[in-house]
Amino acid sequence: MATATAKTVQIKIKRQDAPAGNPHWEEYELPWRAGMNVISSLMEIAATGQTKDGHETSAITYDANCLEEVCGSCAMVINGKVRMACSALIDKLDQPITVEPLKKFPVVRDLRVDRSVLFENLKRVKAWVPLDGTYDLGEGPRQSMTLQEELYPISRCISCCSCMEACPQFNDDTNFVGAATIAQVKLFNSHPTGESLKRERLDALMGDGGIHECGYAQNCVEVCPKEIQLTKAISEVSRDVMVQAVGDLFRK
Amino acid sequence: MAASESTISGVQPLRAGEGNSFLWRRLHSLSGIIPIGAFLLEHFLSNAAAIQGPAAYAEQVRFLNSLPLVPVLEFFGIYLPITYHGLYGIYIWLRGKNNVTEYPWTGNWLYTSQRWTGIVAFLYMGYHVYTQRFSGIHLGTHPEAAFGKVQAELLNPWILAFYVAGIVAASWHFAYGVWLFCAKWGITTGQRAQKWLGYICLLLAIALIGGGLATLAAFRSAPVQSPASQVETQLR
Ligand code: SF4
Ligand code: SF4
Ligand code: FES
Repeated sequence: MATATAKTVQIKIKRQDAPAGNPHWEEYELPWRAGMNVISSLMEIAATGQTKDGHETSAITYDANCLEEVCGSCAMVINGKVRMACSALIDKLDQPITVEPLKKFPVVRDLRVDRSVLFENLKRVKAWVPLDGTYDLGEGPRQSMTLQEELYPISRCISCCSCMEACPQFNDDTNFVGAATIAQVKLFNSHPTGESLKRERLDALMGDGGIHECGYAQNCVEVCPKEIQLTKAISEVSRDVMVQAVGDLFRK
Repeated sequence: MAASESTISGVQPLRAGEGNSFLWRRLHSLSGIIPIGAFLLEHFLSNAAAIQGPAAYAEQVRFLNSLPLVPVLEFFGIYLPITYHGLYGIYIWLRGKNNVTEYPWTGNWLYTSQRWTGIVAFLYMGYHVYTQRFSGIHLGTHPEAAFGKVQAELLNPWILAFYVAGIVAASWHFAYGVWLFCAKWGITTGQRAQKWLGYICLLLAIALIGGGLATLAAFRSAPVQSPASQVETQLR
């Protein structure tokens, strides 16, 4: 709960000027207003350009776009846990609020990190529906209502990388692919057209850093802002990978 | 495949089509159930014969040692898989970045406990195999000395405590290992199924711990048998 004393908001932000720069904390104080969230607070800090003790400071770099938890760009470590900054309401956070960049991704500057590893991973598992685009294929195959209901939530992934940030297995020793990519494999493998690349996707997940690195800590499913059933996706894709691996012993 | 030259820094992308980690990791998972888990159940059950007294216990030890190819069974069914499972498990542990302080949730606690119970059980097994199998009187040829040999060890309260720790750790590690196996091999996938399996595995853990402790109690409460060392000196 916000401390009502003098109606201010105390925020500590971990800043860093360059990818190799020295991380350091800066403190800010803002007048409290109803409905504030972490992004709106960052905007106010940019407007005043001052730290708590009145020093002038540079603008804080961060990613944010939609401000309604659909673009996925604003994931940050807030009060020690990864979450979307735009939906992190100030009134629901203990103060002083600490805001840090994601810890498992290279910092570009301040709160902005480079999350291209997820894009790379999605490419490596071919997370798309293959279409050659040279002629009109007409309508796609129909999906049953049940299938739609199962897949729609997974299609809501916003590539925020929270699941990877919170995963103990996602680090530079394992170079684990992470839950989001595995869930997308399930999505595209279950799609009537996307299915044609199923073998290749499952093969990719058997490579180093693949699905087997998951240790079922289940943090991913706890932090996913879109409440995607990530552990279910991991178990199901895991079974498909296993079935294919065992089958290949006899086929190849 | 394997176009995995990456120019990004930090955690690297998936190395599609490269390496053997899939095989080793799945072998680790499987070996925990078969043969290690199967042996664990057998071992708890066999030892529970102690509850029926020294004679029944000796009979059980005699029976097990009458199985054909005991050394081969021991090597391929017990020593090799446990050594592999233990060492590879430590390797897995070292590569994980534990964050249960930041994210103190049940699944994450279980993930952490699986590592600690694993190491306790592994160290305990090393000690237990050394003292009961490779030192002192050989029980394969002297099954009648088995009860007394275990009993002599358990008279020391520190060793008794180590046995309790070993039993609790191995039981927990195995029971949660069954749960993990079912999740990782896609046997239980949905939340409801995983929750129910969780309860079943909890019961399994309680049953194993209860059985193990009852067995220890049987050794402690029975009148002290002639200590193994004495039998051994008589034999020399
Ligand atoms: S369940 Fe797997 S992917 Fe999810 S946080 Fe745990 S180890 Fe990571
Ligand atoms: S699966 Fe959830 S946590 Fe992971 S990137 Fe997608 S939306 Fe974010
Ligand atoms: S700004 Fe788009 S998710 Fe937060």
